[in-house]
Amino acid sequence: MEEIRQLLAPYKKVLVAGCGTCVTVCWAGGEKEVAILASQLKLARSPQGKKTVILEATVERQCEREMVTEIRDKVAEAEAVISLACGSGVQTMAEMFEDKPVFPGVNTTFIGMPEEEGLWVEMCGACGDCFLDRTGGVCPIVRCAKGLLNGPCGGTRKGGKCEIDPDKDCAWVLIHRRREKQGRLDVMRKYYPPKNYGAVKRPGKVRAAKA
Amino acid sequence: METRLGVFLCNCGGAIKNIDFDAVVNRIAKSPGVSCVNLSSNLCLEEGKMKMLSCIKEENLERVVVAACSPEFQEHSFGKVLEKAGLNGNLISLANIREQCSWAHEGDVTGKATELVEMAINRTRLLQPVEKRESPVNRDVLVIGGGFSAINVALQLSRIGLRTTLLEEAAVLGDGAEKLESFYNFETGSMMSAVEGDRNIEVLTSARVTTMEGKVGDFRVGITRDGEEVFHEYGAIVLATGYQTELASDFGMKLDAKIVSQEQFRSMLRAPGLETEPKSIGLMFDFCDENSRLATLATLHNALEAKKKWGSEVYVFYKSIKVDSEGAERLYQEARDCGVVFLKSESAPKITAENGRVKIEARDVFLGEDIILACDVLVGEELHLPVKWSERLSSLLKIRKDSRGFLQDENVHLYPVGSERKGIFFVGSCRGDLDLRRVLTDISSVVMSIRELLSSGNILTDVERVRADPQKCVACLTCIRVCPHHAIQLVRAGNGKEVAGISNLACYACGICAGLCPAKAIRFQGYRDEEILAQIDGIGESLEGRHIAFCCEHSAYAAADLAGKLRLHYPEGLRIIRVPCAGQVDVFHILKAFEKGAAAVLVMGCEEGACHHITGNIRAKERVEYCNMLLKEVGVDGRPAAMFNLSPNAPHKFAKAANEMTKMAKESGR
Repeated sequence: MEEIRQLLAPYKKVLVAGCGTCVTVCWAGGEKEVAILASQLKLARSPQGKKTVILEATVERQCEREMVTEIRDKVAEAEAVISLACGSGVQTMAEMFEDKPVFPGVNTTFIGMPEEEGLWVEMCGACGDCFLDRTGGVCPIVRCAKGLLNGPCGGTRKGGKCEIDPDKDCAWVLIHRRREKQGRLDVMRKYYPPKNYGAVKRPGKVRAAKA
Repeated sequence: METRLGVFLCNCGGAIKNIDFDAVVNRIAKSPGVSCVNLSSNLCLEEGKMKMLSCIKEENLERVVVAACSPEFQEHSFGKVLEKAGLNGNLISLANIREQCSWAHEGDVTGKATELVEMAINRTRLLQPVEKRESPVNRDVLVIGGGFSAINVALQLSRIGLRTTLLEEAAVLGDGAEKLESFYNFETGSMMSAVEGDRNIEVLTSARVTTMEGKVGDFRVGITRDGEEVFHEYGAIVLATGYQTELASDFGMKLDAKIVSQEQFRSMLRAPGLETEPKSIGLMFDFCDENSRLATLATLHNALEAKKKWGSEVYVFYKSIKVDSEGAERLYQEARDCGVVFLKSESAPKITAENGRVKIEARDVFLGEDIILACDVLVGEELHLPVKWSERLSSLLKIRKDSRGFLQDENVHLYPVGSERKGIFFVGSCRGDLDLRRVLTDISSVVMSIRELLSSGNILTDVERVRADPQKCVACLTCIRVCPHHAIQLVRAGNGKEVAGISNLACYACGICAGLCPAKAIRFQGYRDEEILAQIDGIGESLEGRHIAFCCEHSAYAAADLAGKLRLHYPEGLRIIRVPCAGQVDVFHILKAFEKGAAAVLVMGCEEGACHHITGNIRAKERVEYCNMLLKEVGVDGRPAAMFNLSPNAPHKFAKAANEMTKMAKESGR
């Protein structure tokens, strides 16, 4: 929050822009979060006592240029934009409105899934060279604290928890159990050489087949 | 065009003395949309309501605000007046100027009364109609279990004309019921033959529930029998799966003839000719599990019968005897009179084997001495536990268990037989340690509840009081996961998109979903964001010196009323906003109040463990914490938002909370 306040300090009129898709689902930047941040910004007493005008808008998908154009009037009105979308959304906005400073309002951390209401866990590292066929559908690259391809390490705790964080499951215990259920434990004995972490040439670019 | 709004003020036959009604009338007559203001002294009487009705018609009113006593008394009947006048009964707000204004403060409160009426006017302008509709329901009932409770529920439901399916996992019905025969001196034979001859009862044995979908009035249940799954539809489900027993400890020895369970001991007692009758018997209970109603009964029964039948020496070791079950005290007295020896010990006796007998060592509390006894037989402590498949059933039917694993959450509002899901009930010892009298009460309660629910074949419900806007819903599943009553599921909207669908029938209108929806897609009529914020706006341009209290209508709101009735004074700056559950209050409602300059915000809900909507007050507490964190981030320190838990009969607690918050706010200069 402090970071956001400093970013916005020079501006008198700010647009809080939410995104109605992924970040809404994970309670990070939907209409409700926009309302909360807007309210917070209004409450933040600026040291000079000047009043900042806060505008609010949420678009369906901030990573789509066509959808972002829907709020161009509000963007035009504001001096700066704070975007609650993921990094893609922020960059789309910044590209569409090159004359306006567009700041990120959330730190996008990972691709995950909800474990329960309000709790998300990382599932995929978007590495470009999927390993899940060998591990019973459990990704050791992001779900093992050490990203081991040949696990488990020596530190697995009782009850199948990770030595780094006892709240987290050991990915390799999960893999073992999954393969055991499938009767395919033999794969555990196999050695996997280091993976190609350069499978995706940054920046990634994918063109769908013209079907 | 502005909507035509009528305001009806009532001075309660002169009982409201400290409000200058003329001044209030003058002030609110200028409010936009208000087309008429009436002052009455008997709005609650038939005469007053007739006047109200004719005024609505004459003035062509579209919405109504009543400023009078607490909604507790007349809200419903004023709604009826609106309906009589051809308006929707939802288009009314009440300003509680008696209990929560006039009676709660000393001195003139005209200013506060005006603000309360303005708050109600602001809300009423935005209200939208909510229609009512009869929804057809399936009248068949599924009873899971095949014991005494299950069979009797089925028989009694049949008597009021409802068909049931008795579903038993075991191969025969009524296996466990036999155990009760000797306990309570009744025979189960007639019960069993009644089931056989009853055309309203279908019996499925060796069957189990494998899937369950739907809601009250329309549960679709998959039943697997002989490896084949068939689907049935029911309007309600009753769980009567009973309990199981287990020896509390095996004392480090293999269970042999010397140490037996109550049940095994019972078979010994009932066996026609025992080779050698035990000369000395020890029984123990209440050491590992103090919820030992059934264990107490079994111990007393067995001790007495052993004494009578064999004339053995009988010693009962216990920590404390609770005789709240019917007949337990009589049994205890009779056992003592017959010569059963009761030995009270603070800790479980030490049990060892010695020369083929059981050696029991304990310290008697009354004698203050160690006692060593060698017995032929020890009847070990027996635990009453939930049946093994409770776990599976509770996850299948999505119902919560209590801390011991019995079905039914420990929430006072569910007792005796309700679950958090409409149309699912518990009966008998599947929900705890119940004796026969309590089981019989359960059976009557569940039959009454189902009769009320299903017998007419229709349920009258509000239509879409709570609704997820399919345009805004992003199907994040938050509401589906948080709904304590499991009233929400994914449905296909008109355009084929999957969205949250809230069932009119299963919804209890608590608003927990609306308070959490990240897309602000859920609209709860009467408590929509605009309607809540309009009330805050109604107070005035600035909320300086004002405290906003979001009060759950089940608890804090009623406690505030009671505080007024008892003339427990609290600061005049408190403005109460009534909510259906503390869990409905959104973080940003609280933030908005601070934005407008409120000195403090109180969120007040039921006591923990007593929320009508199970988790609402816990969520509210978390939200208030979160809110204080958000405020701190922007430099508003001192935790100006606070959560209070109180019951509706706690007016002192309410007044104390209001006073404390005001004092705290003053101290931090707000």
